[in-house]
Amino acid sequence: MSNRLPWWVGGILMSGLLLLTFSIYGADRPIGASTYVPYVAALIFDLDPEKYSYIEHIKDSGSWEGVMLLGVLFGGFITSVFITKSFRFSLIPTAWKTYKNNSILSRLLWSFFAGFIMIIGARLAGGCTSGHFMSGMSQLAMSAMIFGGVVMITLVVTGKYFYNTKGKK
Amino acid sequence: MADLIFVVEESNTTVVDRIFKMVENVIHMEHGSVALVFLIGVIFGGIIQYTRVDKFEKIAGFSMLKDTIIPKMLFLTVGITSIGLYFMIDAGQAHYHVKPIILQGLIIGGILFGVSMAILGKCPGTGPVSIAEGRIDVLVGAIGGLLGGLVFTLYYDDFFKPLMGESLGKTILPDFFEGHEDMTALIFGVVVILIAIAIPKRELFDEADLCKLPDDQRPDKK
Repeated sequence: MSNRLPWWVGGILMSGLLLLTFSIYGADRPIGASTYVPYVAALIFDLDPEKYSYIEHIKDSGSWEGVMLLGVLFGGFITSVFITKSFRFSLIPTAWKTYKNNSILSRLLWSFFAGFIMIIGARLAGGCTSGHFMSGMSQLAMSAMIFGGVVMITLVVTGKYFYNTKGKK
Repeated sequence: MADLIFVVEESNTTVVDRIFKMVENVIHMEHGSVALVFLIGVIFGGIIQYTRVDKFEKIAGFSMLKDTIIPKMLFLTVGITSIGLYFMIDAGQAHYHVKPIILQGLIIGGILFGVSMAILGKCPGTGPVSIAEGRIDVLVGAIGGLLGGLVFTLYYDDFFKPLMGESLGKTILPDFFEGHEDMTALIFGVVVILIAIAIPKRELFDEADLCKLPDDQRPDKK
């Protein structure tokens, strides 16, 4: 068995999953993957929903995505162990060593920082790659197209200045 | 001292109780059974893992324009889904769940998201898949993310909500082409699929994965 699927097979399968999720025979809602983060944060830190209006606001989406997240972790783990055989503990990606530096501390600090602003960003915009880009654009939503455009541009600009690609393959 | 600590009032529930509460919420919602929602997650994680689009080399690689698998797969997914979904909604088999245009929120949020996606090399959907395959650096990113979610929740009313601005409505593309809605949806879908095919395919491979494969199966040596 091949250890990975080509992009077009992945795209077709992902469309099937999105359509199933949207359909009234499925979940009758879009797929999202960033509302669960503040929901889980509130769950871990035991925040009082009566004090913080945002928790009440995201209660439904957050718990739906929270259950989905458990599935994602399970599905990702099983697939990495039995199909792609890519399960291994690692602290620093190969390309980070090539294009940034060899310091584990640098990678971990940047990861922490990026994770922090990523969730603030996603919650300000009201969605992420799943909720806006995939689910939103599939509904022809203008909000998703604005978000997608801004993200694509900043992603590529950041990549150009954050990493050192000069003279490297 | 008390106002320095944000979690003061104990609600006498444990994390496990609150996880059960989460599952209970899903049972009472009409958005699929708990088993179905879990299964959607399993398939979602499985597709992302099996196509390897959760890899740092794919997402950060795209930010350096050294890998184009992410945009190709994303655009193909959007193209096919948009056509299917438009006609499913027409037939009453699905509904719109369009997010509003909250311009400042979308732009500020999009910039923060784009910058962090390039640095972390993950997004909130692909991150858990990487954690599930043992990436500790992404787990550290997720802890940062949880704190981000906490800060957002704590200061939502006072700071973040005013920063996002007002909603300009839930406009969709066919609204601009009255009388030609079906055609607009169809053309959008086809154009996006063509973009997915037209983007030149470039790949950045990870030697740490490749070295486990026999020589004749290595995608970089084909």
